[in-house]
Amino acid sequence: MDLPVIETPVFPRWVWIEEITYSHIPIATVVTAFMLLAPLFEYIGYRRGDPRWERLSKSLIWFTMILFSPGAALGTGIPMYIMGTYPEFWSRWVNLFFWPLIVQFMFFLIEVFFLFFMYYLTWDRWANRKRLHISMGVCAATFGYLVQVVWDSLGSYMMTPGGVALPAVDQPVGWAPGAMLNPSFPFLLAHRTFGNFSYVMLLTGGVFALRHMSQRRKNPASENTAYFDWASSTCFTIGFLCFFAMPVIGWFYARVIQREAPVAFMALMGGHSAVYVTIKMSMIAILLFVGGAYVIKRHGENKAIAWGMTAGLLVVFTVILVHPPLKWFGGNPLVWRAVTTAVILGFIRWIWAARGKGDPRRPGWQWAMFVVGLAAFFAFAMGGFIREHSKSPDTVYGEIVKPELTDREADRYLVYDKWLRPRNEVPADLDRNRPDDWRRHVEQARREGLELTDREAERIIHYLEVRH
Amino acid sequence: MDFLAAAKPFIQFPGGAKFSIGFLALFHTSVGALAIGFAFVVTILQIVGYVRKDNRYDLLAKRVQLWHVCIYNIGTISAIGLVFALSGLFPQFWSQIFVQFFWTMIVEELLFFMLATTLTLHYFFWDTMWGHKKLHIFMGALLTPMFFLQVFIINGMSSYMMTPGFAEGQVSQWSGTAGILGWDKLAFYNPTFLMLTLHRTAANFAYGGFIVAAVCGVWLYRTKRRKLQVWYESGGRLAFSVAFTSLLTLPIIGFFYAWVLKYHGKEAYGNLMHGRGDVVAGGIDWWWVKQLIVPVMIGMGLVFSRRASKQKVEFAIPMPSVYTTIALIYLIFYLGMAIQMTWLFFWASLAAAVVGGLWARHLLNRHAGSGRAVFVLMGILSCFTVCLGGYIREASRPRFVSPSGDRVAGFNRIPQYDNIYRPEERAANVDIRMVRGKPPYADELPARPDRPGLKPETVADLVSYRCISCHTLERIHFYNGSDWDRVVGRMKAYGMRATDEEMQKIIAYLAGNGEQGDSVPTP
Repeated sequence: MDLPVIETPVFPRWVWIEEITYSHIPIATVVTAFMLLAPLFEYIGYRRGDPRWERLSKSLIWFTMILFSPGAALGTGIPMYIMGTYPEFWSRWVNLFFWPLIVQFMFFLIEVFFLFFMYYLTWDRWANRKRLHISMGVCAATFGYLVQVVWDSLGSYMMTPGGVALPAVDQPVGWAPGAMLNPSFPFLLAHRTFGNFSYVMLLTGGVFALRHMSQRRKNPASENTAYFDWASSTCFTIGFLCFFAMPVIGWFYARVIQREAPVAFMALMGGHSAVYVTIKMSMIAILLFVGGAYVIKRHGENKAIAWGMTAGLLVVFTVILVHPPLKWFGGNPLVWRAVTTAVILGFIRWIWAARGKGDPRRPGWQWAMFVVGLAAFFAFAMGGFIREHSKSPDTVYGEIVKPELTDREADRYLVYDKWLRPRNEVPADLDRNRPDDWRRHVEQARREGLELTDREAERIIHYLEVRH
Repeated sequence: MDFLAAAKPFIQFPGGAKFSIGFLALFHTSVGALAIGFAFVVTILQIVGYVRKDNRYDLLAKRVQLWHVCIYNIGTISAIGLVFALSGLFPQFWSQIFVQFFWTMIVEELLFFMLATTLTLHYFFWDTMWGHKKLHIFMGALLTPMFFLQVFIINGMSSYMMTPGFAEGQVSQWSGTAGILGWDKLAFYNPTFLMLTLHRTAANFAYGGFIVAAVCGVWLYRTKRRKLQVWYESGGRLAFSVAFTSLLTLPIIGFFYAWVLKYHGKEAYGNLMHGRGDVVAGGIDWWWVKQLIVPVMIGMGLVFSRRASKQKVEFAIPMPSVYTTIALIYLIFYLGMAIQMTWLFFWASLAAAVVGGLWARHLLNRHAGSGRAVFVLMGILSCFTVCLGGYIREASRPRFVSPSGDRVAGFNRIPQYDNIYRPEERAANVDIRMVRGKPPYADELPARPDRPGLKPETVADLVSYRCISCHTLERIHFYNGSDWDRVVGRMKAYGMRATDEEMQKIIAYLAGNGEQGDSVPTP
């Protein structure tokens, strides 16, 4: 069965699908993170007898309720859009993941049942049955998280199919464990889980910080002012500490991509997606330094926080040093390592010197917290974009390409796959080791044993001559 | 891969693919229709509360809206479950229908998002907007038209599945569906679109109202406080009156719906009226079950309304209008009986209505005039009728392909997709052909399959093929002795596709009333 493709107005199809997806994912991630944290906060409040945790928990769920319906409505639009514009991909993908999609739908229904009917509606009614109420929240969070588990599995397959072929349109399979448990699935799941906690809590802390500022302007001594001060600091610190898991998971994730999707890895490390990686890293640097400065000023007297931050920064430092393709930034690896060492160790030194000093309740810090929240959000959003962009022009890596594939994309893929990979080079080497004559250079490589057909060689030469 | 080799030709579903789709669709429809009804009733309650300066109605509206928010998400999620199931279980059908209705589905999605946002803001900012009540009521009132726009879009698809747009045994009205990518206007505005839309609109008002009344009934059973009882009784009666008024219009709309089906979905019509095909499942003719539940509901509603009217309580429906509508329904049945119904059906309906009336009277007396039991019972019955209505519509339709593999009249209007467009797949990692800008299929659409009987061989065929594009052939007989030159010219202005030569032939033929040897085509 051949499937016709719908053309889209104004923008190409891939732009539309990205916009639709990005409208849904931030909402879905906030909902999932809030659902997971709300019962935990409620439990802490119950155990400590501290009403602030209860209030925080309830406000998270209230906001979840507001976001849930628009988020679900946007989510339904994604498959609708894909069916029309990428029908072959959708048909083949559904053939492979039919049962996981149905199971995901059941999880979703159960999640709504617990979240709306057993958790939100019963909040006041079960005020004296807190354990029961919290357990309902845990059920909602569990099923909400299971929905994320399924989608992460399906999404990670698109990057690392792990040798499981995408079935044909007329070849329904239903499900394949190998596809679900593909190589990058656990790392994507872990990365997204901690990423959600981190960015959502940093952003929530930033928003609460602005509310704190507004409340303090109205009445500095009010209960609300004290609450928002506490809530902003608590959420922000939780988000900041969660971040430190990300570089470790990310390092493993990158290694899996390097092994399973080498062309996508090249795209990330100096290739066509590198500029987005750099933007993401800049956002993370803002998060790390500005956020770290706030946390150490706010909680500096607590040595555990100072030690925790030090340990976290050393982890980041270690990951940067051992991350394999340092040369992708184009410069000398030794210079890069020296600068990184100086910056991170210097920051650690500053942490210990500055801890507990200054007034983190000044308005400038409230704005800084909000900016860090936004930076964390953009770093998160950029992560999803980079993952999809790096495997372009493939929709599923090595299995199916986008229908709107261009000459340039195809030639670039060819250069990564047939020129750089066999020679153990990275895209930065194309400019670093640029020869005087690409044609002669390629012909020389062929004579030395590089396997290329004439047509492939011509296309590679054309691309290199035009682009490098 | 081994698992690919071992794959069955179709994905198997417990209970069968048809059952699973039917279950999901009915579940979604019953929840979705409820949401629509809730939205409407909430607005009515809010307006009543605002006009009467009585906050109790506003509070009731808020409680109903809270439930609305909760069930809305169940409706959303069940819709996406249905889409997943259709993609896997009926891939060809789903791909084909998507080709025709893609842009309508995207508009549907936009409405979906606007609805979800408006609903959320309306409920969660209820107290915040207390000082802007008119604006708040307006926001809530927007939900109903948005819901209906959504339903209209789905109706376009659903009614197309029943009546693709031509009378059986005659040619399709559409000559180029194969080229449709994303929007098929004629398919959308198919013959039963209007009737299905009207029927569903009224049915949703009725269903939502009856369910709100049923919820009030449940609350009446549970509370002992007199003040609350009065409040629930009054709110339930308001919702019941709205619902019953809508219910009374349904047999009238349904009659005309059946009339259109008779011409444009003959086989489905026959299946319904004569108890054939999937309409009869498990030995029970579900069409007639539904047709008997409706008079039971009318009988119950009549007795309840009459009692309320006699007691002169608030929100009682004026009885003369009820009697007039019921007389109209009788008239419709009378007219209908000459065509499609039977006296058995008439007397059975009357008996069911009497039983329903007696039952309602008993329940009202038992609860000292309180409508709690009637509210709950009508809520349950309305849920049954909504589910049965959707089921029998789907069950009455002839199948796309008969078990022997033959095509059944009118289906597969879109030919197989061979040669339309095949997105390129990776070939040996390298040799990837490019697709840029306008894909080739846009200019190289396949020729319409040459179906026997499509080409007009006589002038009568020509008249039949061109006229049936927009209306049934009966209309020709309305213009006996007319100035055919003017009439046909007007049809051309309306969009009839015909060359000048064909037009002259048609005019000459109609003016001569078949003098060329052919009889005027009959419907």
